[in-house]
Amino acid sequence: MRILLVEDDPDLTRQLKLALADAGYAVDHAPDGEEAQFLGETEPYDAVILDLGLPKVDGVSVLERWRRGNVATPVLILTARAAWSDKVAGFDAGADDYLAKPFHTEELLARLRALLRRSAGHAAPSLSCGALRLDPRAARASVNGEPLRLTSLEYRLLHYMMMHQGRVIGRTELVEHLYDQDFDRDSNTIEVFIGRLRKKLGSDRIETVRGLGYRLTPLEGESAG
Amino acid sequence: MSLLTRVRDLLAPRKRSLVFRLVLLASLWTLLVVAVAGVFVNSQFRDAGIRRFDQSLSMLTDDLYAGTTVEDGVVKAPFLVDIRATRAYSGRYWTLFDSPGGGVLKAIERSRSLFDSDLMLSSAQIDQLMASPGKTLFLDMRGPQDKPLRAAALLARLPGHTTPVVFLAAEDRSQIDADAGRFVRITAMALLILGGGLILAVVVQVRFGLAPLFELRREVASVRRGQTERLHGQYPEELEPLAVELNALLAHNQEVVERQRTHVGNLAHALKTPLSVMLTEASQQPGPLSALVTRQADVMREQVDHHLRRARAAARSQTSGERTPVEPILDELAVTLERIFQDKADGQGIEIDWRCPDDLCFQGEKQDLMELAGNVMENAGKWCRGRIRVMATSVGEARWSLVVDDDGPGLPPERWADALKRGQRLDEHTPGSGLGLSIVDELSRAYGGSVTLGDSPLGGLRVSLDLPRAPG
Repeated sequence: MRILLVEDDPDLTRQLKLALADAGYAVDHAPDGEEAQFLGETEPYDAVILDLGLPKVDGVSVLERWRRGNVATPVLILTARAAWSDKVAGFDAGADDYLAKPFHTEELLARLRALLRRSAGHAAPSLSCGALRLDPRAARASVNGEPLRLTSLEYRLLHYMMMHQGRVIGRTELVEHLYDQDFDRDSNTIEVFIGRLRKKLGSDRIETVRGLGYRLTPLEGESAG
Repeated sequence: MSLLTRVRDLLAPRKRSLVFRLVLLASLWTLLVVAVAGVFVNSQFRDAGIRRFDQSLSMLTDDLYAGTTVEDGVVKAPFLVDIRATRAYSGRYWTLFDSPGGGVLKAIERSRSLFDSDLMLSSAQIDQLMASPGKTLFLDMRGPQDKPLRAAALLARLPGHTTPVVFLAAEDRSQIDADAGRFVRITAMALLILGGGLILAVVVQVRFGLAPLFELRREVASVRRGQTERLHGQYPEELEPLAVELNALLAHNQEVVERQRTHVGNLAHALKTPLSVMLTEASQQPGPLSALVTRQADVMREQVDHHLRRARAAARSQTSGERTPVEPILDELAVTLERIFQDKADGQGIEIDWRCPDDLCFQGEKQDLMELAGNVMENAGKWCRGRIRVMATSVGEARWSLVVDDDGPGLPPERWADALKRGQRLDEHTPGSGLGLSIVDELSRAYGGSVTLGDSPLGGLRVSLDLPRAPG
């Protein structure tokens, strides 16, 4: 397993290199944002440990550039900034996990193991509907390559609709696939989730069929998956 | 003097409102003018009435003088047709006096209306008469039944009579006094209405004139409540500089708070990398020293986190608030937390079901709402078996509540109070600082809200936050 460690503090770099090597990983090191971006784009790493406070280019920008350049390597963010706004910004930029400094080495290693295990998950065919794509393996969806940020309930609803695209799906059917049986369902649950999906996908993709339910269709000019 | 000090007290700056002072001054001035006008008009009316009265008396005196004859040294009064001078106590009287000198008058003829009484002049009036012979004098005197009389008197010599004779005509003046009194009442009423109307007009004028000032006050209050960040209103040129200065002050205040927060943040974050180095080094060289360093570094981490958030919460109460829509924050946090906890529940991850009205706004900063909701939801994420429910609902106009339920093991009621205390770890096995809920407690207090723990219908813990709502 080959890991890229992006960290500018020399002491921490030395320690982490040691700990990672002990755990059996091959470690490359980048001390600043520019070098990190270059290495991440050119070398096939299995995972990246990325500090956010970096010289030259900051960590979030590096991550955003990788994701825009279709670098899908799992990234664990390591940062002193532990506020929720920073965490959300990190995940927004495309991070896969987030660890706040100061941390215990064991926890970093455990998170790294989990990250690698997840990315090695078994492949499943991806679904598409026009410019909308859904990748069940990574549980991710995108429109025109732009990743969508969905909660698991939204994802589950979209997944079901994509499997049955073109067909009108009734509210009862949708709510049954959204929730386990014991969960309380109020009458407008489905409206709430359809509303949120429309906000994120664009309002034209989900059509309301009066009295019957909803239908997911590709936009005009797009080909169906 | 005491009245003057009282007036000065009333006008003392800062004691009374501007409106009060302006209206008070205008009222005093109006009352003064109205009172002077009332006195003047009434005296003019009274003078005119008395002048007319005197004229008719003077004519009677002249008639007496012209008609009186002397027969064999005896003075004979003329026969006057005025009916009123014949009926007893009718109110119109005349008398002829002989004045032998020495300040004494002797009545020689009198009108029938006088019946059995005499008109008496005071010695001062007699002296006055003596001093100006041939001139009609007007006098006030008392007549029969003690009625007030107005009299005209003339001292003249008659041919064939050795001593001068005084011709005096008098009439009851209570009628003109009554007329004057009625006129006083009518003018007082009219002037009171006029004065009241003027004062009312002043009140309206002052209210209207000072309206921009009230508008300014309203805007400043709404800045303090966080409904707007600065003053936007158009003000008259006298107030415009004040509004500009206030805006500059607000901006300056904001900047100072922002700078302090940045300093505290930089210090806290600068400490974290060295702490990481210490922790890592300690873990790589096991022994009693490393255990001590690890323990102390953990304490330091908690302290740094605590004070970093305290600084943010403290800054909160000073800075002008703003409004943050709740719905997008919950969406972002739900997506992020599901990712953070994606390995939970045997790799199934967690499911966050959240509901929020689209138009609900938090009265405060976005970062703080993220901290509040993020920490409560993260706490639920740590404990849940896979499911979290988040409900944001408005409570009246000014509050809203955030209720977070999980399906974890829950917490017995006797430990609810402990869970909100700083540094209480509820379970040593769950990673994290254990500070989550105490931070939420502190931060929601800074916003005048509260945290309540309870049992969740999902089986685990329910955390309810009460927070300020920005008006829609």
